[in-house]
Amino acid sequence: MTESNGNGYRVGIDIGGTFTDVVLVNEQTGSVGVVKVPTVPADPSEGFLHGLNDALRDFGVDPKHISFLVHGTTIATNTIIQGHGAKAGLITSEGFSDILEIAYQTRPVLYDIFYDKPKPLVPRHMCVGVPERMSPTGEVIVPLDAAAVESAARRLLASGAAAIVVAFLHSYRNPAHERAAAEMIARIAPDLPVVTSAEVCPEYREYPRTSTAAVNAVLLPKVAPYISRLEERLQERAVSTPLHLMTSSGGIATSQIAKRFPVHLVESGPAAGVIGASFVAEDLHDERLSRRILALDIGGTTAKASLIDDGMPALADEFEVGAAAVATSTAGRGQGYPIKMPVINLVEIGAGGGSIAYIDPGGALAVGPESAGADPGPACYGKGGTHPTITDANLALGLLNPEYFLGGTFRLHAGLAREAIEREVAGPLRTGVEEAAQMIIDIANAKMVAALQLVSVRRGIDPREYALVPSGGAGPLHAMAIARQLGVSTVVIPPTPGLNSALGLLATDVKHEIVHPLFRPTLDIDRNVFVDLLKEMERKGRQLLGTEKVEGEGIAFLHEAEVCYAGQNYPLRVAVDPAGDASIETLSTRFRELHRSRYGFASETEPTMLLNLRTTAIGRVERPRLNRLEAGGVDPADARKQVRRVFFGGDVECPAYDRERLKAGNEIIGPAIIEQMDTTTVLPPEASARVHESGSLIVTLGAVQ
Amino acid sequence: MIPDTQTREPVASFELPDMDPVTFEVLRNALINVTEEMALTIRRAAYSTNIKTRADFSCAFFDNQLRCVAQSFAQPAHLVSMATIAPTAIREFGIDRLRAGDAILVNDPHRGASHLNDIACIAPVFVRDARVGFVANMAHHVDVGGSSPASLGISRELFQEGLILPPTCIAREGRIDENVLGLLLANVRARRETNGDLRAQLSANFVGAQRLGDLASRYSPSEIAHFCDELIAYTERWTAHDLSRLPSGSWEAEAFRDDDGFTDEPIRLKAKVTIGDGRISLDVSGSSPQRESPINCTRTMTTCALAFVAKCLTSPGISVNAGFLSRISVTGPDGLICTAQRPAGVVGGWETGQKLAELILLALQPALPEIIPASGKALIVNLGFGGQDPVRGEYYCYMETIAGGGGARTTKDGATAVQTNLHNTENAPIEEVELNYPIRIARYELIEDSGGPGRFRGGLGVRRDFVFPDAPCTFTALSDGRKFAPWGLSGGLPGACARFVLDPQGENRDLPSKITMEVPRGGCVSIRTPGGGGMGDPRKRERSALEGDLLNGYVSPEAAREFYGLSEKEAREFFGRVRGKG
Repeated sequence: MTESNGNGYRVGIDIGGTFTDVVLVNEQTGSVGVVKVPTVPADPSEGFLHGLNDALRDFGVDPKHISFLVHGTTIATNTIIQGHGAKAGLITSEGFSDILEIAYQTRPVLYDIFYDKPKPLVPRHMCVGVPERMSPTGEVIVPLDAAAVESAARRLLASGAAAIVVAFLHSYRNPAHERAAAEMIARIAPDLPVVTSAEVCPEYREYPRTSTAAVNAVLLPKVAPYISRLEERLQERAVSTPLHLMTSSGGIATSQIAKRFPVHLVESGPAAGVIGASFVAEDLHDERLSRRILALDIGGTTAKASLIDDGMPALADEFEVGAAAVATSTAGRGQGYPIKMPVINLVEIGAGGGSIAYIDPGGALAVGPESAGADPGPACYGKGGTHPTITDANLALGLLNPEYFLGGTFRLHAGLAREAIEREVAGPLRTGVEEAAQMIIDIANAKMVAALQLVSVRRGIDPREYALVPSGGAGPLHAMAIARQLGVSTVVIPPTPGLNSALGLLATDVKHEIVHPLFRPTLDIDRNVFVDLLKEMERKGRQLLGTEKVEGEGIAFLHEAEVCYAGQNYPLRVAVDPAGDASIETLSTRFRELHRSRYGFASETEPTMLLNLRTTAIGRVERPRLNRLEAGGVDPADARKQVRRVFFGGDVECPAYDRERLKAGNEIIGPAIIEQMDTTTVLPPEASARVHESGSLIVTLGAVQ
Repeated sequence: MIPDTQTREPVASFELPDMDPVTFEVLRNALINVTEEMALTIRRAAYSTNIKTRADFSCAFFDNQLRCVAQSFAQPAHLVSMATIAPTAIREFGIDRLRAGDAILVNDPHRGASHLNDIACIAPVFVRDARVGFVANMAHHVDVGGSSPASLGISRELFQEGLILPPTCIAREGRIDENVLGLLLANVRARRETNGDLRAQLSANFVGAQRLGDLASRYSPSEIAHFCDELIAYTERWTAHDLSRLPSGSWEAEAFRDDDGFTDEPIRLKAKVTIGDGRISLDVSGSSPQRESPINCTRTMTTCALAFVAKCLTSPGISVNAGFLSRISVTGPDGLICTAQRPAGVVGGWETGQKLAELILLALQPALPEIIPASGKALIVNLGFGGQDPVRGEYYCYMETIAGGGGARTTKDGATAVQTNLHNTENAPIEEVELNYPIRIARYELIEDSGGPGRFRGGLGVRRDFVFPDAPCTFTALSDGRKFAPWGLSGGLPGACARFVLDPQGENRDLPSKITMEVPRGGCVSIRTPGGGGMGDPRKRERSALEGDLLNGYVSPEAAREFYGLSEKEAREFFGRVRGKG
């Protein structure tokens, strides 16, 4: 698991909507092999195996030599979004069986008469209440009615339940009734998956907890067999290393854990992309550039922003699956199914290559969130699209090469792009096509800047201390302009921005989060008891990691206490260092400092509460060492292609370079265009790029013109 | 609603903002982000369940001309209240008396705020000695004094409803005025929560001012002022454009609230809605005169109801600012139930406002038959509790409101268990309520057969039962909807009425919708909210939809026979299939 780089091969397999990417890293030489095969939506495990077989064949690798195998998958998200979850039953405390349907009791979209809340994951006839009740302090008020549990279970089984969720009130304080009910159900149906809310999510507030457990239950009968099928096929291929899966928080978990808690896999795909960006920066081995990263992935319809400190992506503690995006504020909550679990904090906005530009009825130029998609796609695709998109604007400015889009496999029509921009934007705005195209790009960039500010400035972080790592086909096209607006001075362009996700699978650690509810005034907690509790959390963490065969040196723990003033709801997370001063007084002091900086005030006298102690147990996985580029001189002349006219506020003669022919140490001074199969990098005036031996381009932005 | 941006129909003539389109777009988004961030701050820093969990607050930015420029969207009921009270309060206090770090509070309904519980907190924003505008937020405080806990009472006049705040300076140059704060806290029941919530409001303005400061470091005050002009003009143009696309004309309707809490005489609401010339207006002439009751609604609150409907009928991209509001007006004499004057009580006025929103929609039904839904629950369902908390040894005070059914739409069923129209507060998690207050919630579930029958069925109402296991409690319901049910349309039947029941497992006594009473220790109050009205003839309901209703217990077999014309044969077949499956 944590073995050092040896003779084996590390394999990452990322299944996306269109392609399944396989990345194979030779641990000895650091050479990287890549295979792309079409995703098989009907049975993703087929694409998985197909890709793996091709990779092993192409690079002549014996399956026995696979030393580490990680999988990123969208199966969990897709199962929920497409409504293909298993039929589950829900048993709740009596009087509360409508919990999933009532949800937050709000309309997440306020002024749409035709809006509907998402359909409950478990239909009403599959939800049953049974007599039982715990108090908020975990004492039994009404004992569990065993006969009622049994008859509820039988009824749900008879109605075709493929899994049963048990979610009782206050089970986060005392899960005894939930456990007892689960045991009763197991006696009736020994093979049926039973999910209790407190084992999935031991946190207070019944709706998000029940929802999290319900998501787990509707996923389990679909995802667990999928993982088992993969394992069987791997065994048939004589792959002996255990299978790991990427989780929503950017860690990895063994297949055993993933089969029991598939809810952890919901954001697996996007998480891998963020970790990949982080790894690209880490692989520079540069103290200044490797530690603080803003990642921006620009795809066809959306852009996703995130932030990584020291390889640890910023996390949110709750999100919704099935909603358009992770809700970042109070508005819009309830459009999806809540999952109360750590997740990489991604801000997703409706701006990508296919986003449409238009003038709204008030006369303002707007870009997105509507997208032309892949079909008909941007006007320049010549497939019948008539609305101007971001891609059309990039083409009209000369930033994209119509003859070398996707490595020349696909021809773009500049005339169609210009026509669409002229008709729908430049004409109404009474300006030139290039000027209008530039405005479209500037507005799209402003939206992406805002997304990056949401993950940084809004959390009290100065983005100027960070390096920007763009990915996705359009990332390097926009990155420099965005960096300038943010005040970021360095941009790192990955060697293959399209492969970040697959590579990210190989560049993270095993992670488990353990939560211990306290819900007590901070000062009531005895110092020694607290220290013992930290030890106990570490013991549990070691145990969990032990089941994954992670032991000894590679283990680390992060402890955080959730503290708030008595009466507040949203605690602040205060780091606890057991090696340092873990005293309760220090905790309170740190909390007050944090509160003051966040909210502008902090009471010195009001009592504070400690809600939960959270421990992340980390099993370090050594990062792969990738091979290095051949060294060359400063002059990039060997990679030079042609000179073309590009609009940078006016027409400029701009050299183009072939990324594949660049050598480590080459330096390119902007304005310049660097083309490669999966992306185009735009180097504006007052910017320069140095080719790093890792294959990344390190772009330094000069003073704003 | 009108999917303008989706279809991008050609707009006849573009009038463009007199500004670089990129700067315009950047500033527009930046200001919305400022108010959103204020909203996030207030929620996270607040103490009372009503604010921190149920999100009963809103935030806004005003320019130097005191026009509302940007608002966060939490509560539609605050849309107009904030835009009205902030300029009034600033002018009355004296715009030039406000310095950096100052903050004023105001909650006087008859100056243009909402009810007394909704306290607005307003602060100027200075950047390098130049004022760039004002930030403001409005939050529903759990208690502001008055006759009963949560300040919900069956009052005859405003003075019984709690502490009235004219524009009052709470902070000077960043320091809280302890005299004012002390006076305020001495008058409220939940001191600790109110204190925390007020600080959360000040915090939100602090964060808003900080973010505006960042913005003002990149754009000069005159640029920002020019932007505000352009944004407001742009919003007005777009609003006018969308309203012009609706049929023009005048339409009338009337409806009733049950009673005023003292007499049984129904309250008449009359609405004449006029659309034309890119404007929408509401004439409330002919409505009942104001009552000595808490059920009155001010002109500001009535305007909220109209603004809500106008927002539903125009593009979602239109911001609610002075430009939008300039196209909306309420006419009719002062002194009516919906244009009440001092000293009318207003704490239950939103119940009238909720009915008004439904009434405006009803009036427009002949004009927009494809859009207008049947009536939803048309209630807030204000509930307030309070008393001595034996565990914590302090006076506690708690309030909440409960969802109900939405009206059936022209193409589908009404939404089940939602807040409707002006109102969108979240439920309080049971675990949070029980952890923090001496209250136990015994039941929270849908009510079978509460949705009005129709080809499209009304959404279901909700039952929530409160038990007071540890101590007696003073309980207030300030609601309505026990007599006049949410109407159906086009042959659809009404939804179920509201019920307020004491001790459902014992005495099982129906209570009036407006009552303050002492509930003994161990007592239980059960609230049943209305379902939405149905749309179209219920006998024409798709049989597969009706089977789903029966399977899921939304409709009982009896109701299916009585209203939906389910034949004995169909019933036998259906139940045979269900059993076959089961």
